Amino acid sequence: MTTQQHSTDQPHVPLSAPESEAVEERDAQPAPSTRRERAGLSWPVKVALRLVVPAAILLVWWLVSTSQRMGLYVVDPLTAFDRFVTDFLSADPSRFFLGDATYDHLFPSVGRALAGLAIAIVVGVVVGIVLGISPVLTGLFQPMVHLGRSLPSPALLGVFFFMFGTGDLPKIFLIAFSIVWPILLNTIDGVSSIGQVRAQAAQVFRIPGRDVLFHIVLPGAAPKIFAGIRTSLSLSLILMIISELQKSENGLGYQLIQSQRNFDYAGFWSVLIVLVILGVAFNLIFKFVERRALAWHRGATQQND
Amino acid sequence: MTETSAATAGTSAELLLDAVSKSYGDNLAVRSISAEVPASKISVIVGPSGCGKSTLLRIISGLDNPTSGQVRFEGDPVDGVPEGLAMVFQDYSRSLYPWMRVDKNVEFPIKHLPAKERAERVRFAIEEVGLTHKEKLYPWQMSGGMQQRVAIARALASHPKLLLMDEPYASVDAQTRADLEDLLMRIQAELGITVLVVTHDIDESVYLADRIIVLSSPPSVVAEVIDVDLPRPRDHIATKTDQRFVEIRSHVTRLLRSKEPAATA
Repeated sequence: MTTQQHSTDQPHVPLSAPESEAVEERDAQPAPSTRRERAGLSWPVKVALRLVVPAAILLVWWLVSTSQRMGLYVVDPLTAFDRFVTDFLSADPSRFFLGDATYDHLFPSVGRALAGLAIAIVVGVVVGIVLGISPVLTGLFQPMVHLGRSLPSPALLGVFFFMFGTGDLPKIFLIAFSIVWPILLNTIDGVSSIGQVRAQAAQVFRIPGRDVLFHIVLPGAAPKIFAGIRTSLSLSLILMIISELQKSENGLGYQLIQSQRNFDYAGFWSVLIVLVILGVAFNLIFKFVERRALAWHRGATQQND
Repeated sequence: MTETSAATAGTSAELLLDAVSKSYGDNLAVRSISAEVPASKISVIVGPSGCGKSTLLRIISGLDNPTSGQVRFEGDPVDGVPEGLAMVFQDYSRSLYPWMRVDKNVEFPIKHLPAKERAERVRFAIEEVGLTHKEKLYPWQMSGGMQQRVAIARALASHPKLLLMDEPYASVDAQTRADLEDLLMRIQAELGITVLVVTHDIDESVYLADRIIVLSSPPSVVAEVIDVDLPRPRDHIATKTDQRFVEIRSHVTRLLRSKEPAATA
């Protein structure tokens, strides 16, 4: 029966032949599952729905800013946005339309956050894979991992200052140390989730260790690793601000403290706007990368739904 | 139907089991199994569920060590996975790599070969199992039967001398199963490889086999070795209505029932 080949690129007309191949090939079409179909809402309605809550928040913000007592500290949204535009944007094409505050505070902050994140990803994935592969090492280091994870890391800021001076390094290391745990734990988990049969298949086919690592262990653990990175990403922004609240000469956290001390509430709220934009941007970039890297995983899990 | 004891079987044995036993702690899973798997034939190990068939296959493939006894593949004692061996696992969804497309899955075991030979082998293996034009799909975009074909193609691409199959068709529907049985027999006849299938399905064992190795209930021993002389090529209708097929099947069924009362419950 297998000698007959149905041409398969065209949309498939069910064959009348009783061969199972006809059945199989119908099954073989990728499942036409899109979220739009499932939710059952047209896109204008969905967009409108998504705008309701942000609009309500803006309204409440504006109402609070006009109230007698709170108005002292809460500037109205327009003033805050205006301040954001003058501080963080400019009309100068040679500076990519970005303002002084962007270069002096936003970029150093983001640079430190990304440096910390990079260290956390490398250390978390490498150590996680080593621990995930070896039950002995997992047993040895498990208590330490849980200890490190449950430590409120900002408490260590003083130690990092003491060890690495007051420049960028203590901040970067604080961020890395604080956010490495979700990546580490997820990687360990991901490695063990690959499954015994896949490992056995690799063994039977005498796949060399390097290929097992890069083509089986890493991609197999990738869905969990990405889940860990996602958690660490939002943590990195929190730690970025915390690390800049003390002994700092620039950064968004520094700006927050300075504007509060100077009773510059418009400046304070404009930094918050930047942080929101930053958080959203980080998340979008993450989603974009994840979609590319884990296309197979989304397909596979949707198939099993 | 001729019945031979394992000790006196033909000389061209590809695989030799010599008093293989396996115990886990005090629990004896496989008591003592001696059998010969002839070269370029299809042999089937059949036995009641839980009789240590899969354990035996792991030992044969070198994934596990026997507690005592020895496995010889082409005369050499098996210690670790020998070269020239490929395996098809029962659970295709767990043995294929879902992040690789079909062609990459098939190519993966032969990555060390030059690109040209690799491409040729992949093309051949995929054609052999009837999946041409499906190379760029992911396994999870296919039905179970097609995924198991990918697993077979992956095994073929490594040019095995011995193909081990662990309940290869237990997770597919009956019609697909029949197709895959015919596929296996056609490929085996074309390539002349030695095939060893483990199954609990008596029909399947008689239909596929040149030699059936019937195991008893655990701790397992070989209940009987049956050489099946049904003519080839075999066919699901003609062969299965053949009087001899019916006889052998009844014989195997009786063997399994008498050794394993629990299996009839």
